[in-house]
Amino acid sequence: MDLLANIAGVLPVVGEESGGGSFLVQPGAGLMIWTLLAFGVTMLILSKLALPKIGAALEERANRVSAEIEAAEKQRAEAEELLVEYRARLKEAREQADDITARARKAAELSEAGGADAGRQRGEEIVAAAKREAEAATRRAVEDLRKEMATLTLLATEKVTRKSLTTEDHKQLVEQALAEVDFSAISGGES
Amino acid sequence: MSTKKKVLIGLGIYALINVAMIVIFGSDGKNDAFQPQNEFKLDNWVEITIAGIDMSINKAVLYLVLAATMTCVTMIFIANRMAAKPNRVQMAVELAYDVTKNMIVGDNMQEKWAKRWFGFIASLFFFIWFSNMIGLIPLPTNTEHKVDIFGIEFPSFALYAATANISLPLVLATVVCTTYHLEGVREHGPINYLGSFLPSGLETMPAIGKVLIWVIELISHTVRLISLSVRLFANILAGHLLILFMGGGLAVLLGLAALGTISFPLVVAFYAFEVGLVATLQAFIFSILTAIYIGSATSHGH
Repeated sequence: MDLLANIAGVLPVVGEESGGGSFLVQPGAGLMIWTLLAFGVTMLILSKLALPKIGAALEERANRVSAEIEAAEKQRAEAEELLVEYRARLKEAREQADDITARARKAAELSEAGGADAGRQRGEEIVAAAKREAEAATRRAVEDLRKEMATLTLLATEKVTRKSLTTEDHKQLVEQALAEVDFSAISGGES
Repeated sequence: MSTKKKVLIGLGIYALINVAMIVIFGSDGKNDAFQPQNEFKLDNWVEITIAGIDMSINKAVLYLVLAATMTCVTMIFIANRMAAKPNRVQMAVELAYDVTKNMIVGDNMQEKWAKRWFGFIASLFFFIWFSNMIGLIPLPTNTEHKVDIFGIEFPSFALYAATANISLPLVLATVVCTTYHLEGVREHGPINYLGSFLPSGLETMPAIGKVLIWVIELISHTVRLISLSVRLFANILAGHLLILFMGGGLAVLLGLAALGTISFPLVVAFYAFEVGLVATLQAFIFSILTAIYIGSATSHGH
């Protein structure tokens, strides 16, 4: 309580006119002129040297920022357009690729089938050629055999008869001998 | 341990320290030698008298010159290094510029007037702001109580603000009032301007009523001079007094050393309050009222 009373007793001193505080609210002409001078000079300097520059720089920055935003928006729109285009192209390319794959598969299947046919055909050809060759060889052998037989028959007849045979005799003998030999076993029943 | 517990324990320790201080130091009785108001007394440092007016240089003049110099130097410095990527100081100044340009001036008057008066109002804002802020920096300006350092007497550190003296706000308010009346007369002509004091919507009122209201409006215009200047002066002075008392003045005055431990946290709070809010708020209020006065004097929308 003492403390509060003391504070209450002291505080009025500050504002009390007769207590030595009157200068607090007493305007002085000299200080007012000083204030006018100081403020006048400050205002002059600020309005000439500082404020216009700050204003211009801020305006320039605002303009630049808005221009940049505009440019960025434009770029984004372009990018989106590009993206759409690329997507379309990609789709096209994929379709093309699918198409090519399908065709290749088809071609491969076709060529596979064709190759088998050709192989078979060739095989048959080879078999046929081999048959033909074999037949020719048989025929040649039969012919050779027939000639041999003829000669042998001739020799044998000359030995038996001791006489030279005329051409007519030859012929007759050969015919006779050959008729007796059965070639059918050799030539496979063809002759 | 929960935060609540920690806070409670901290407060308990703080209360114990206070009690201990009261017990140890007790009371030395009321101190009559210390006059706190003398912190704001202006001793003439250099006596100058021009044409019978005392133009002596004192503490207030020093603070005025400091405020003017700081305002000009800072603003020119910022204006000349308006970089594309601003640093923090520059951003703060830009914000202040933006506030003065758009919120204070732009919102309260037409463009024509805004262009003309932006320089004046922005200068008011920055000048008062710097003046308030410099007033919160302790400077060696107290020539009443000197400090003896190695045999040389230095003024002790003190807080003072040019705006804590009635002369500065008063002269600025006078300039503002003169300005807006002149602009009103220039825009409307003297008779119409005086007529524009009368609010609209009173067309059906009898003449005597109109005269009465006009007189009240005239008084309110006159009082603007006082309200504008005293608002700034009283706020800054009160802030400085609070800091002075809480920062030890009260303990010295009452001879209660223990009071120091109680008032010290308060001075930190008051100081932060003054720096963070009052200094800027008062500069803002002074300049926005100027803008409103000029704007309403020149507008045709009554």
